[in-house]
Amino acid sequence: MRHRASLILGAVLVGLMAAAGLVSLAWTPWPLAEIDVLNKLAAPSAAHPLGTDGLGRDLLSRLMAGAANSLSVAAGAVLLGGGIGTGLGLLASAWGGRVEEALMRLCDLSFAFPALLFAIMLAAAFGPSLLNTGLAIAFINVPIFARVARGAANQVWVRDFVLAGRAAGRGRAAISRDHIVPNIAAPLIVQATIEIATAILAEAALSYLGLGAQPPAASWGRMLAEAQTLLWVAPMQAVWPGLCITAAVLGFGLLGDGLRDWADPRLVRRQA
Amino acid sequence: MIRVEGLSAALPQGQALRDVSLSVARGERLGLVGESGSGKSMLGLALMGMVPDAAQLSGRIALDGQDMTGATEAAWQPLRARKVAMIFQEPMTALDPLVRIGETVMEPLILHLKMRRRDARARALDLLAETGLTEPEAKMRQYPHQLSGGQRQRVLIALALACDPGVLIADEPTTALDAQIALRITDLLVRLSRDRGMALIFISHDLAAVARATERLAVMYGGDLVETGATAEVLANPRHPYTQGLIAARPRPDPAMIRKRLPVIPGTVPTLGDLPRGCRFAGRCAAELPRCAGTRPAPWPTASGQAACHLLEPAP
Ligand SMILES: Nc1ncnc2c1ncn2[C@@H]1O[C@H](COP(=O)(O)OP(=O)(O)O)[C@@H](O)[C@H]1O
Ligand SMILES: [Mg+2]
Repeated sequence: MRHRASLILGAVLVGLMAAAGLVSLAWTPWPLAEIDVLNKLAAPSAAHPLGTDGLGRDLLSRLMAGAANSLSVAAGAVLLGGGIGTGLGLLASAWGGRVEEALMRLCDLSFAFPALLFAIMLAAAFGPSLLNTGLAIAFINVPIFARVARGAANQVWVRDFVLAGRAAGRGRAAISRDHIVPNIAAPLIVQATIEIATAILAEAALSYLGLGAQPPAASWGRMLAEAQTLLWVAPMQAVWPGLCITAAVLGFGLLGDGLRDWADPRLVRRQA
Repeated sequence: MIRVEGLSAALPQGQALRDVSLSVARGERLGLVGESGSGKSMLGLALMGMVPDAAQLSGRIALDGQDMTGATEAAWQPLRARKVAMIFQEPMTALDPLVRIGETVMEPLILHLKMRRRDARARALDLLAETGLTEPEAKMRQYPHQLSGGQRQRVLIALALACDPGVLIADEPTTALDAQIALRITDLLVRLSRDRGMALIFISHDLAAVARATERLAVMYGGDLVETGATAEVLANPRHPYTQGLIAARPRPDPAMIRKRLPVIPGTVPTLGDLPRGCRFAGRCAAELPRCAGTRPAPWPTASGQAACHLLEPAP
């Protein structure tokens, strides 16, 4: 029952964030860049449900646009890095021997490095922009997925139907594509969901440090940085983006946990 | 069709096959028997070029005149399914739970015979019908868990037959099935072998099934080929003490036997590392001579084949 609850709560949180982000692409209550200095740091009102920021821009509109940026960068980065990592993991598992050894040692090496620090270095080296932040986050996801994919694939390679496939004349690539990938999809999807939570946090951190979204683009991390100077004057400026980050990270985390328990055959059998 | 000479398979813990020489003629049905761990599966896998990475092979393997000694994975791959195919013991796990039956059987047709999907589907249907699967049309769309063990074994047989191989290796194809289904699958394999002129290597530890299915018999123990000959001849007049033990130990519906304890071969199959250097059966053999444990017996001719036992050595 517990996994059902986290699955539902996670899905609701993620759904809300994704919906807000999607809507922002077509419509926001106020134009995103509309500056109204006379009306800066306004209290919530009918016109501005969450008030305005230090430049008089509508806070709700900017939070919505921030959702679009944060979620798309995080999900895109995990998809890209996860895809490449999965490919490498499958390769390592299918070829074994020295190929596998070398790839896994490379992964170990990359894990010895704090991921966020590494992303900061990469983003700084590529130059500050949202795209480069995404690429940096994608990069740190490669070894994570390589390891998960290889571990899961190794368990599938020893199964009888793989032997039967080989006996039917199938090569490593065909077996990887048709038998390994479908059978490791579940753990990979769970991993991806959890890594998106981490990626949202990383994107926020990089944008907060000024390495991600550049003004006037809206991003939760960026909004936190802008609110910092006003913390004593207008604390809600920091609370809202902070809440959004928390909710999104929590949402993906719960969703990933729920999916994992749901996909775990041992739990399923115990329930049946 | 298949010719093996001096084939050995060395695993880190010992020899899973030792100097095995064997040949199978076109259309011939050979039984391969022995207790579990005697190397039957290893020999079957060696004929597919599929021994585990840990096993070092030496000796010669020729398939249909083609020398496959030391062949790479890439060289083996095109021969599998086309020249030699294999089915396995456990039909419940030999099918990918996520792939429909139809797709499984169509795979080799598309891969090896370059058939288009339409043609492959029609051919797969014929193959499934040929193996006696009921309602093959509907089953093509089903997933493995929707089929029984016997039905799955038929699917695996259809898969193995797809590219019309010259040899089918059936590794204990009926061990996981109940007796009646096992009998039907055995008869099916015999019929397919006859109809198609396909050689059959029938691996089993069920002597009754082997007697029913095969013309020639090879008995393995501890990685050695201990006795070969015509199936009927070997079963009626076994020459190697191991074969004699195996036959005495088989369960029979003999009224006189019911109250008596089933004779068994004393001891258990030693692990690979503990096999005697000479005759592998030394230590369990009732007729053991002093030299058995240390000296490997040569294969001596018997009525219809050979047996590797010091007892058969002609007096000088
Ligand atoms: N993948 C493997 N790794 C290590 N040892 C193996 C492997 N496969 C088989 N063996 C060993 O090889 C020997 C022969 O096994 P096998 O050919 O499966 O016997 P059988 O099929 O006659 O029961 C056994 O001692 C077994 O433990
Ligand atoms: Mg076996």
